[in-house]
Amino acid sequence: MSTKRFRIGVDIGGTFTDGTLVDTDTGDITTSKVLTTPDDPSLGFISAIRRLLSPGSSGTPPDSPDARGARPVSPELVDHVVHATTVATNAIIERKTAPTAFVTTKGFRDMLEIARQIRPSLYDLQFEKPPPLVPRRLCFEVPERLGAKGEVITALDEEATRQVARAIAATGIESVAVCLLHSYRNPAHEQAVGKILAEEIPGVSVSLSSAVVPEFREYFRASTTVINAGVRPIVGRYLTTIEKRLDADGFDCDLLVMQSNGGVYSSAAAIEKPVFMVESGPAAGSVAAAAIGTALGYPDVISFDMGGTTAKASLIRDGRPSVTKDYTVGAAAQSGAGAFGGASGYPVRTPVVDLVEVGAGGGSIGWVDSGGALRVGPHSAGASPGPACYGNGGEEPTITDANLVLGRLDPMYFAGGEIPLDRERAARAIDQHCAQKLGLSVEETAHGIIEIATTAMVNALRLVSVQRGHDPRDFMLVAFGGAGPAHAVRIAEEVGVSRALIPLEPGTASAMGLLSTDIRMESTTTVISRADSLNPGELQDAFSSMESKGAATLREAASAHTGTRFERAIEMRYYGQSFELTVDAPEGEADATWMSAILEKFHASHERAYGFRVDAEPVEVVNLRSTAVGEIRKPGLKPLANVGGDLNAALKSRRPVYFNPQTGFVETPVFDRVRLPAGAKFNGPAIVEEKDSTTVVLPGWRAQVDPYGNLLITR
Amino acid sequence: MSRIDPIRFEVLRSGMVQVAEEMAATLRRSAYSTNVKTRQDFSCAFFDRNLRPVAQAFTQPVHLGSFVRLIPMAVSTYGPENLGPGDMLVVNDPYSGGSHLNDTTVLGPVHYRGALVGYVASLAHHVDVGGGAPASIGPFREIFQEGIIIPPVKLVRGGVIEDDIFRLILAQIRSKRVTSGDFRAQVAANAIGAKRLAELYDRHGVDELDSYIDELIEYTSRRTEAGIAELPRGTFTAKGFVDFDGFSDKVVNLQVAITVSDGEVLFDMTGCDPQRRAPINSSYAMTFAACAYTLRALMDPDLPVNDGFYRHIKLIAPEGTVVNARHPAPIVGGWETQVRLNDLMFKALSVSMPSEIAAGCKAMMAQAGFGLIDPQSGEYHCNYEALAGGYGARSDKDGPDAVQQHGQNTENAPVEEIETHFPMRISQLSLIENSEGPGEFRGGLGMRRDYHFPETEATFTVLSDRDHEGPHGLFGGETGRKAYYILNPDGGLNGRRELTSKCVVDLLPGDTVSFQTPGGGGYGPPERRDPARVLDDVVNGKITAERASEVYRVAIDGRSGLVDEAETAKLRSAR
Repeated sequence: MSTKRFRIGVDIGGTFTDGTLVDTDTGDITTSKVLTTPDDPSLGFISAIRRLLSPGSSGTPPDSPDARGARPVSPELVDHVVHATTVATNAIIERKTAPTAFVTTKGFRDMLEIARQIRPSLYDLQFEKPPPLVPRRLCFEVPERLGAKGEVITALDEEATRQVARAIAATGIESVAVCLLHSYRNPAHEQAVGKILAEEIPGVSVSLSSAVVPEFREYFRASTTVINAGVRPIVGRYLTTIEKRLDADGFDCDLLVMQSNGGVYSSAAAIEKPVFMVESGPAAGSVAAAAIGTALGYPDVISFDMGGTTAKASLIRDGRPSVTKDYTVGAAAQSGAGAFGGASGYPVRTPVVDLVEVGAGGGSIGWVDSGGALRVGPHSAGASPGPACYGNGGEEPTITDANLVLGRLDPMYFAGGEIPLDRERAARAIDQHCAQKLGLSVEETAHGIIEIATTAMVNALRLVSVQRGHDPRDFMLVAFGGAGPAHAVRIAEEVGVSRALIPLEPGTASAMGLLSTDIRMESTTTVISRADSLNPGELQDAFSSMESKGAATLREAASAHTGTRFERAIEMRYYGQSFELTVDAPEGEADATWMSAILEKFHASHERAYGFRVDAEPVEVVNLRSTAVGEIRKPGLKPLANVGGDLNAALKSRRPVYFNPQTGFVETPVFDRVRLPAGAKFNGPAIVEEKDSTTVVLPGWRAQVDPYGNLLITR
Repeated sequence: MSRIDPIRFEVLRSGMVQVAEEMAATLRRSAYSTNVKTRQDFSCAFFDRNLRPVAQAFTQPVHLGSFVRLIPMAVSTYGPENLGPGDMLVVNDPYSGGSHLNDTTVLGPVHYRGALVGYVASLAHHVDVGGGAPASIGPFREIFQEGIIIPPVKLVRGGVIEDDIFRLILAQIRSKRVTSGDFRAQVAANAIGAKRLAELYDRHGVDELDSYIDELIEYTSRRTEAGIAELPRGTFTAKGFVDFDGFSDKVVNLQVAITVSDGEVLFDMTGCDPQRRAPINSSYAMTFAACAYTLRALMDPDLPVNDGFYRHIKLIAPEGTVVNARHPAPIVGGWETQVRLNDLMFKALSVSMPSEIAAGCKAMMAQAGFGLIDPQSGEYHCNYEALAGGYGARSDKDGPDAVQQHGQNTENAPVEEIETHFPMRISQLSLIENSEGPGEFRGGLGMRRDYHFPETEATFTVLSDRDHEGPHGLFGGETGRKAYYILNPDGGLNGRRELTSKCVVDLLPGDTVSFQTPGGGGYGPPERRDPARVLDDVVNGKITAERASEVYRVAIDGRSGLVDEAETAKLRSAR
């Protein structure tokens, strides 16, 4: 037995703060759930942890799986705490970022105002551009200029820079973002500006674009840097408070923070580069799906996470979530925006798990448009007033109402019975707002609401798979989130996937992702050079240099990891293109053979993504990406104690459930998930209920409980 | 099919939009030119077997409207019977239904189980299609000078590019490598679209999908009718002009009358000037596209756009005029005429819909092109882009600064990307202070982008407008600053010189061209503007304190930096 054998994950969401404690020796898992405390999220954080450590105080029912083998745990036995938080994202969305100044090259003060010069919606004459994150009066220019190769065209005027620094000091600003043209090639001028700012403004927080994201395309780099600068003081104060609370409770452990790319980093790194955590929470779900898939021998997985307001899909290959850098924060969801939707937000060029999010969650509203078509979302009834069946004043029909009317949800066992549902209200809402206008029955309409929501979710799945050149039929669907399991099988059917897996406790599965990841420190070097004119030795040197820095960062960052490895990837394109494809570099030293292997990989992935390859075309190497991975031991899956038990013991009841208009209501068995033994097999139609979720097994599908309690549904 | 199932309908509708959007994603990400890949100057759509537009990816409205004319004409000219599976046509001839030559369309039939089920099409604005100046934009006298004219010809046979045709096309073009990459991206986008469409047919069956396509079009038509019914009835007119035709000093007069009646909106262009031997003529398809944009902007934001929408647009565009030119009139600057028509249409409607429309916008395409031979590689490079300007003020809000308008929504090319590709520099990219059209709500600021060529000769082309007058104000709002095109604003070998809005200039090493777009028009009298808003603009350096006092009658106290209430009251009562 190791001394520090426990690990904790805490995921703060909009409504609940979820905690997970794993005993790495036994694989025992304890969970806790407390209300999020928006005014000071660290209170919810610490109370979720206290409940994990002394489960007696949590009010967890003794027969609940939460309480399995739970005994008080002393804080000093905890090795580390992993935290996912929306504190950075919320600051951006609510426009509560810290006042920030922006410094750029002379002639380009309006970079943030002009942005991409496009309208977020094509046909809206009343549109607004998103307000720049830094007002024009706080945007400053310094005389200097670099060329595209990093050469100095005009040397930095240090005296003028000092004047700018004094002007910024006079405003009382606490954070400054610096983005000079072509600094990704040569950071010297930015570093000099940073030094002068630090001298002139004691205690100021400076974010240099060449340190945050040293990649070309100035507006995107500037936006990322400004967001980093704007959330830095907020994240700094927040994580410092969290650390204090942990200290006060007697913890002596590392605090790690979930990044948008699915890896974790130290709280010190998070305070330095908070822009890497803007998609902290959603990333945890993909990581959880990846971990489950990998543990069970399914490295290729589509992750499907459906909650109250949205559904998110992402693709996992070889056990790793796909990552993108084409990401926008704070963009308004709107229909008809197409490719320009992102123009209503702020681009962030850090690696983010490639999630497609659609406005289809349990609370999404069904409605009939002016052309007489039934639509679902993007409006949501949210948690308040919530679906009509909550009886809290919600009048409009939601997906949850539709599921209830169709018998898929038990009105007395929603959220384990904590929220009694009113089927009459649900039926009335569907009838009055939709069914009457469509001339359909309430059940047909409810079924239609589900089908239309399914289409939106299927589109999300297709976007992350088909549109990226992957055939979804080669993947397993892992579905979780409170509403995911009710829709997973229907979605699998539509996408053509023949296997769906529902983990135990799907409502909190994503918090498990926090404990299933490694420390990942990414760094980038921009090259922009034709592959045929590059010496592989130079690439080797560039990678080696990033790797030695990465190793040093890992050593300073945390002691939580047990091993270190490096991943190398190259972003490439045909010479003249503008969007890069990321190609994982093969193992070994960069030499001529290595180079030709990479080129072949590039041509192949171009063909997979876009349907053609041009071997005769020169290929351009744009960015080198190095990831220093500090490996963390993953919790093993714990086998179910209940093996080979009687399936009938888990049968709660039978009730009529509506699956499609052809068959109408069908008498359907309802199973209690926690009493299902490992190895149990049954055919759909069936309903499986557990405290935080309900799984719908459609007719024609077969369910099986694997040795760890996961529900594997196949066709 | 006796009855349409509303649920299935919604499922299929979204499936069809998805096809077009996936085409767009493929085209964008695999294209070569900055214009297509970054600035998104392209569009994708699919048509049913009867050549009705069914679904579009939302990119550039001007393209989408012109597709409606082009695709049916191209297919019927070539003969649908001559198009086999995997074949694709290429076309850019404005006199075969196209717009200006740069906008080149690749289209092909979609077959499912041997039968024709529809067509996919992608249009890209190619950076260069040959002709008299780099980027193929400039003042020309006839279409033959504007570049290679491609009637509908087969570019792809059975999925393979016809090398003979392709080489013949590329031989006319300056930036061959980039352009051939863009063509390949268009072919790839169509191939993906055809594949996905065939999959849709496979899943739903030909009869069923076809009957839902009919219903989608009828549904759109119903919603369009409902939308038109909410517009104020009557005939609304406006007159205006394009400032400069490229050669003469006579403005190009434009006139539009919009009649809203039952289920139909009539756009009557009678009264627009006869066509000229100057680059401001447009094809019928382009004029139709401009009308479609205006009507679409007045409809529900999520209305699908297909045949069921377009059929409600009636257009009178007399032949032989600048809105429906006869061969061989030059067309390249026709979008300048069209974008100005859009401004006039909204001006006409400002009487009946004062709170729905905006004051005058940039209303010029602001196209800048340059060509040069890279001294190191010897390669001929071309660049093309279109710049943003001030947007018109609205009844309750300012016009946004530096943004695209009307049927144009192309992005800017990152400075670092341009400088990496070409031996030149962008020496300034900024808002233009004091350029807004003053008003209770002010127009957006114009934008300035300076192109500097330190070490090479280059040919620079401007195809734009607003030489004489800035965008109009409404209801007491004032005109925005006009556009300027200045060679060497700070002097240089060629000396400082004001250029016209339509010109080709030979640059010497060291020259700079400063392209300055107009500010949007204001809405309501400027002396009614909230002093707090005036102060905010002064604090942010968007207008000067002098302008605040002279134009807005707001006094800013020099010491406190706040509004001097008493002085402001005095200024405002004096008027």
